[in-house]
Amino acid sequence: MRNPWAETGNYKTSYRQDTAIFATYLEMLSLWALVALLLVLPFFLKRPQVFVLDLILVYSLAVLGLNITTGYAGLINIGQAAFVGVGAYTAALLAPSLPFWLTVPIGGLAGAVAGGIVGIPSLRIKHLYLAIATLAFQIIFEWTVGHSTILKQGGAIAMPRVEFLGYKVGYKNHYYFWYYVILLVVVLLAFAFRNLLRTRYGRALVAVRDNDRAADAMGMHPGLTKIFAFALGGFYAGVAGALYAYLSRAVVIEDYMLPVSIKFLAMAIVGGLGSIVGSFLGPAFLVLLDLNMEDLANWLKSLGLSYAGVDIASAMRPLTFGLVIVLFLIFEPRGLANWWRLVRNFFRNWPFKY
Amino acid sequence: MAQLSVENVTLVFGGLAALSAVSLEVEKGELVSIIGPNGAGKTSLLNCISGFYHPTRGRIRFEDHDLTRASPHTATRYGIARAFQNIELFSGLSVLENLLLARYTHLNYGLLPAALYYGRAQNAEIEARRQVEEVIDFMELEPYRKELVGNLPYGVRKRVEVARALALGPKLLLLDEPMAGMTLEEKEDMVRFILDIRAERGTTIVLIEHDLGVVMDISDRVYVLDFGEVIAEGPPEEVAQDPRVLEAYVGGAA
Repeated sequence: MRNPWAETGNYKTSYRQDTAIFATYLEMLSLWALVALLLVLPFFLKRPQVFVLDLILVYSLAVLGLNITTGYAGLINIGQAAFVGVGAYTAALLAPSLPFWLTVPIGGLAGAVAGGIVGIPSLRIKHLYLAIATLAFQIIFEWTVGHSTILKQGGAIAMPRVEFLGYKVGYKNHYYFWYYVILLVVVLLAFAFRNLLRTRYGRALVAVRDNDRAADAMGMHPGLTKIFAFALGGFYAGVAGALYAYLSRAVVIEDYMLPVSIKFLAMAIVGGLGSIVGSFLGPAFLVLLDLNMEDLANWLKSLGLSYAGVDIASAMRPLTFGLVIVLFLIFEPRGLANWWRLVRNFFRNWPFKY
Repeated sequence: MAQLSVENVTLVFGGLAALSAVSLEVEKGELVSIIGPNGAGKTSLLNCISGFYHPTRGRIRFEDHDLTRASPHTATRYGIARAFQNIELFSGLSVLENLLLARYTHLNYGLLPAALYYGRAQNAEIEARRQVEEVIDFMELEPYRKELVGNLPYGVRKRVEVARALALGPKLLLLDEPMAGMTLEEKEDMVRFILDIRAERGTTIVLIEHDLGVVMDISDRVYVLDFGEVIAEGPPEEVAQDPRVLEAYVGGAA
C-alpha cells in the first residue's frame, strides 16, 4: 500500500504525479517546516545575527542567478557582482522617487537587460573565451561607475529609509523588516526556478550546456537560449543587488567589484554547481566560515599567540577561504549539495528500508 | 514531386570537394540508403540536409521549403530529424528529459506560466510526456526511463539517439549509422525498429549504413557515394551488380 510519508515504492499512477516536486508528504512538510523556522528565527536572534541571515539570503539569490548561467547553462560568468551592481545602482537611482516594491523588480529587469547584452557574444564564442567577455563586462562596469558623476564615481550613495503600509522602517527594525522581504523574494524566486526546471525553458538551459549541436537539432536556437540564460541569471542578480542596496543602506562600488564576483563563484562551487540547494548551502557555509575565522583569530589573540604588527584575522580569512575552495575542488567537486543528496537519499525510506 | 530533393550540391572545404554535384531525390514514405567507403561524403551530405553545413553550390529542397541556407533548428522545425553517428545526447539528463527536449518546438507556453507551473504549462508538459512515453514504449526503453544517459551502455544510447529523433515527430528521419558497433542481436532490434517506424508512422527515412546485408534487405533504393560523387543509384539488387560499385568496394578488377 502507498505510504504517503515515505517512498516505499513507486505508486505513481499519472504523469502529473511523476512531475510533482515532492515525492512524499514528509518532503513537502520538511520544506514548509524549514520556511516556518526561518519565519520565527529572527525572534530568537540579536540584530547582528539577523544581519548575517540577511546577507546569506541575499548572497544566495545572487549565487542562484550565477548557478542558472554557469551551473545549469554551463556559461562561465566571472562578472556576477557587476550584474548585482547593475541592480543595486538602478535601485539607488530610483529609490528617491519610487517605493521599494517597484525598484526591486525594476532592478531585476535592469540586471536581465545587462545579462542579455553581455550574452550576445555567446552567439559566436564559447567556453573560456566567453568567460573573458563576462570579465570584460565586470571591468567596463567598474570603469563606468568610477567615471559617472551621477553615480558619485563609486562613492557611497545613500539609500532612503523605506515606509511600508504606514510602517516606518527605522534603525531598530531595519534588519528584521528586510529579512522578511528578502525571505519572501528568495522563496518565490527559488520556487519559480524550480518550476522552470521541469519545463522546456529549464531543459533548454541544460541542453546548451551538455551539447550545443544536439540542442540545435532539437529545434532551439542555441545562441538565443544562451542569451536567455544570461538574462535570467542577470535578473536574479539584479534583484539581489537591489535588495542588498536597501539592506546595506548605501551603494558603494567596492561591494560589486571583481573579488566579489570571485566570491560568488566560490560560493557556487562550494555549494555545488547546478543545484538549487547548493545555491543556499554555499553562501551559508562561506559567510559563517568567514565570521568564525574572525572569532577564532580573536580567541588566538586572547591566548597571547599574536605577533606584534600581524593581524591574524586579516590573514586567516583569505587563507581559509582559499583552502576551503581547494579542498572542495579536490575532495568534493560536486559541493555541499552532494552531501545533502546523500543525506536525503538515506532518509528517503528510513526507517523502513526494506 | 519528391519530398526531399538535393540538386547538384557541391561542398568545398578549402580546396577539397567533400561533395561534388550530388543529386538525390527521396519520395514520401521511402526508405533510401546511402552507402559508400569511409570518407565518401555520406555524413557531409546528411549534414547539408540537416543544416549543419551549407552547400557551396547547388540547392536543397524539402517539401515547400528551401533548405540550402537553413540552420539546423529551422530544418528541425520543417520536420527533419537526425540521429547522429557519434552519439550526441545530453549526457547530464535522463532518457526521459532527453526525449522531452525533442518536444521543445511543440511546447509553446510562456515564461510566466512555466515559472508558476500552472494551467497551460502543466497540461502541455503532461501531454508532451504522454507523447514521449509512446516513443519510449515503441523503442522499448522503459527500463532506462529515469537513468542518466551518460551512465547507459553504448547500444542503449544508440537507441536513445534514434528515439529522440523520433520524438521530434519528424516527416523525414535521417539516420547516420544507427547500427555501427552493435552486436548482431542489437542490430536486428534496430532494423526492426526502423521498419516499424516506417510501417506505423509513414516516416520517410534516409539511412547511412555500412552493413551491406542490412542495406540490401530493407532499402527501397540505394545511393552509392565515392569521393563525393554519386557513382550508382537504384534498387538494391541493381546497385549490387554495378561494376563501379564493385570497384569502389573491392578494388579494381584484377
